[in-house]
Amino acid sequence: METKVLEIINDIRVAKSMNAVETLKETDNLRNDLGLTSFDLAELTVRIEDEFDIDIFEDGLVNTVGEIYAKLQK
Amino acid sequence: MGVFLIDNERVYTYSDLLDSLNSSSQYYPLYKTADIYSYFVNLIQALAASRNLVLLDSDLNPSEIDGVDEELVNVAEPVEHYAYSCMEDVVAALQQSTSEITIFTSGTTGQPKKVIHTVSTLTRSVRIGGKYQGQIWAYAYNPTHMAGLQVFFQAFENLNTLINVFNRQRSEVYELINKYQVTHISATPTFYRLLLPYEIAYDSVVRVTLGGEKSDQHLYDNIVKIFPSAKINNVYASTEAGSLFAAKGDCFQISEKIRDKFTVVDDELLIHKSLLGRSDSFKFEGDYYHSGDLIEWVDKEQGLFRFKSRKNELINVGGYKVNPGEVENVLLSIEGVKQVLVYGKANSVLGNVLCADIQLEEGTTLSNVDIKKALASQLQDFKIPRRIKFVEEFELTRTGKLKRS
Repeated sequence: METKVLEIINDIRVAKSMNAVETLKETDNLRNDLGLTSFDLAELTVRIEDEFDIDIFEDGLVNTVGEIYAKLQK
Repeated sequence: MGVFLIDNERVYTYSDLLDSLNSSSQYYPLYKTADIYSYFVNLIQALAASRNLVLLDSDLNPSEIDGVDEELVNVAEPVEHYAYSCMEDVVAALQQSTSEITIFTSGTTGQPKKVIHTVSTLTRSVRIGGKYQGQIWAYAYNPTHMAGLQVFFQAFENLNTLINVFNRQRSEVYELINKYQVTHISATPTFYRLLLPYEIAYDSVVRVTLGGEKSDQHLYDNIVKIFPSAKINNVYASTEAGSLFAAKGDCFQISEKIRDKFTVVDDELLIHKSLLGRSDSFKFEGDYYHSGDLIEWVDKEQGLFRFKSRKNELINVGGYKVNPGEVENVLLSIEGVKQVLVYGKANSVLGNVLCADIQLEEGTTLSNVDIKKALASQLQDFKIPRRIKFVEEFELTRTGKLKRS
């Protein structure tokens, strides 16, 4: 699951000509540390939804990688 | 007499058609058949005798549409028996027909709607005369819908030949064009995209007509390569109003005769009710019908305009309005992209997220990132689809248009 999330985030970063990151830390902030805009976050949600069938933003904003993991582990 | 129709290797001459018409004294007001020859015989029989009829798709379940009594489907009714001495008599009878013809919208979005037309609205754009003789048409539309009827009347009233290519595979279409030396094709952009990529040129085709959907430069360029001898033009026809405008370059022109029958409000083209068929589903504002087509005038005095998009088609992505047609055009200009569909998907972050389904030409490999990078040089960020799916094929409507759900 964690590798998949890493893969999706890197896909998004590479498409905007940012470097791929090697690992994700649970404390990484999606906007500030990973540089994702709201459009990128929207992409992240649909792609995670396609993969895991869970809408991570359904009940409010998710800010960190750890919060994504928490949603997916529920 | 010449050949009327070729369907699945079966050749029907005009003399066969005359025999079929003269040997029958009945017709089906509601006829459902997968056999295109029987369908045309019934249509001509009814119109020539000025009887009304309802055109049903062969795969349509009557319960799918309102106002069709299932028990009346394929029930014959007697019709006055005329002995036509030649096809010209049949054509003349059809031209004076007072029949009412009920057709259904294709349901590109939503339930098919019923529209009643007369022969005169359906044949408004038919041209007859010496220079229209001897044409061989690839018949690429569903015969029960507006565009298919337009092509049928154009070909039939000039006693031309129809080669049925509707719903055929790419290789079959090419084989038929070559075998019968087709001269005219009228079809949707979706149909022509099926013919890509360009491999061999077909010189027999002198006229290529596109209608029903938006087309794009990439497709034009390829059509020019495949049919180098052809003049290419566009038509605008709707189930509601039939054929209305002639194309002029990348614009359309409203002919002087009907120029006072149109008005434009908030960029939307409004059509006067006198040009339309009859339907309970039409919503009028005063005497005008909202076409849902957004246009811009190029020369208002001359009735010259360009289509921009369909109303309600704009997708709201995080407060930005995206015209999917614009994004589709850019996608289609990417080398190796054959067919695309851009749509919005409800999303908790942006309201909608822009999605694209893409069908690649055979032998092409493009990744998600390749596509996005190609788009980034031509479109603002909010117009770039965030979910890209590569698909093997697209679902089409009954009239051969892309299904937008």
